[in-house]
Amino acid sequence: MTDLLARIGHFGAFAGRVAVRMVTPPWNHEDFFRHAWTVSVRCLLPVIAVTFPFGLVIGLQGLAIFDLFGAQRLLPSLISVAVLRELSPVLASVLVAAQAGSSYAAELGSMRIKEELDATEIMAVDSVRWHVAPRVAALMLACPILNTVGDLAGLAGGYTMAVVVKGEPSGVFLANLWVFTHPSDVVGGLIKTTIFGAIIGMIACYHGFYATGGAAGVGRAVNDTVVRAALTFFAVNYFLTSALFG
Amino acid sequence: MSALAWVGGLAYFAWDWFKVAVTRRPPAGQTLVEAYRIGVQSLPVLLTISVFVGTNLALQGYNAFVPLGGQRLVGMFVAMAGVRELAPLIAAAMIAAKAGTEMASQIAVMRTREQIDALEVMAVNPYWYLVTPRLYAILAVMPALSLIAVFVTVCASYCVAVYQLGLNGPTFLEYARTSTHLRDILTGELKALVFAVIICFVSCYCGFRSEKGPEGVGKATNQAVVLSCILCVSFNYLVSQVLYG
Repeated sequence: MTDLLARIGHFGAFAGRVAVRMVTPPWNHEDFFRHAWTVSVRCLLPVIAVTFPFGLVIGLQGLAIFDLFGAQRLLPSLISVAVLRELSPVLASVLVAAQAGSSYAAELGSMRIKEELDATEIMAVDSVRWHVAPRVAALMLACPILNTVGDLAGLAGGYTMAVVVKGEPSGVFLANLWVFTHPSDVVGGLIKTTIFGAIIGMIACYHGFYATGGAAGVGRAVNDTVVRAALTFFAVNYFLTSALFG
Repeated sequence: MSALAWVGGLAYFAWDWFKVAVTRRPPAGQTLVEAYRIGVQSLPVLLTISVFVGTNLALQGYNAFVPLGGQRLVGMFVAMAGVRELAPLIAAAMIAAKAGTEMASQIAVMRTREQIDALEVMAVNPYWYLVTPRLYAILAVMPALSLIAVFVTVCASYCVAVYQLGLNGPTFLEYARTSTHLRDILTGELKALVFAVIICFVSCYCGFRSEKGPEGVGKATNQAVVLSCILCVSFNYLVSQVLYG
């Protein structure tokens, strides 16, 4: 128990150091843009590959529910609310945690194992400012971008299922798509994913930064990163949903 | 192009495994150890995630149905979305993140340390020794984990619906009960088995073909979880389409 508390405290101190370096100059712009670009590109296909089938499934099951009441025209609003508020932010972040978070843990972990981080410190380069802060900031930018892509792919999945597969009229679908959705749903999703991006970045960099024990240690850091990041943002998600949409 | 090569490699991998699996007895003790590791050690993660999936399901169901004046339907929404789709799928994603990455990183570390070559030198088939126990173990525990996830999700939704949103408890349960059938549960179990096979083969395959060194291990682990998630979601759609479509 004390061990767990000590680790949480250690993580808190690390997160504080990163946060301070993210808001004070000098910034490592170059790495920030490079990381943000790489993450967005590498996660683009996975995010689409996950949200699109999910949109299909919501369409399928939603039609099954609304067919009972003869209320098929409500389907598009269910899809847009579910995708914009919940599914796309969560699924995009799961994928970012799995793809980008784990690769950050692996990169920093292997830099730690090969003593590259120690070398930077010895050269009087602040390794948190130089290596960690741009990565966390990059995820905070990339997550909302990928969330937007996920929104579009999820809606496209719902449209494909309802209109192309099940033959619902396209005009009715599009007309009802925005009935119960407000701009605040989209903005809420963006706020959520920015916070999730910060959580994923902090947890991933923490595990990589303090990795020990050779190749196996890197593997363990990657493993812990994905699980703990997902746990944390699922929990935070509940509170954010209550606060933003409740 | 490289994606096609990857799928082909995975198929060869599965075929190589199949050839040794049908001709030899599985290593029973090892299977139990793996079942403990995958099943029991993933449980805390799975329970926590399922609780929060349930709470959010109730919140969003409520938000979606209030404009229609259908608060009573939240129970039905939770039962259909949670039992049929979300709980099994989120359970699979978490098992992929927890147990799948563990498989990938263990095997990748063995590859790095040349322990897999050592196995072959000792005339132990690495597919038989490393993949078989993991596959049988995950097949054994996955349906149970999926059921637990379903149960916890619905319980958490009930708590949020009744205590946070102030809905009527018995109505919630009545709607949840009437809209869930045995078929939904069995479909969930079938999905769990499909996800188990996907997670195990993809993770082990990523581990086997990892490059040596710490970066290789990290990359293999990374690939394992991303690809298993994508394949699970895609196959989830296929199974739903075939069974509910």
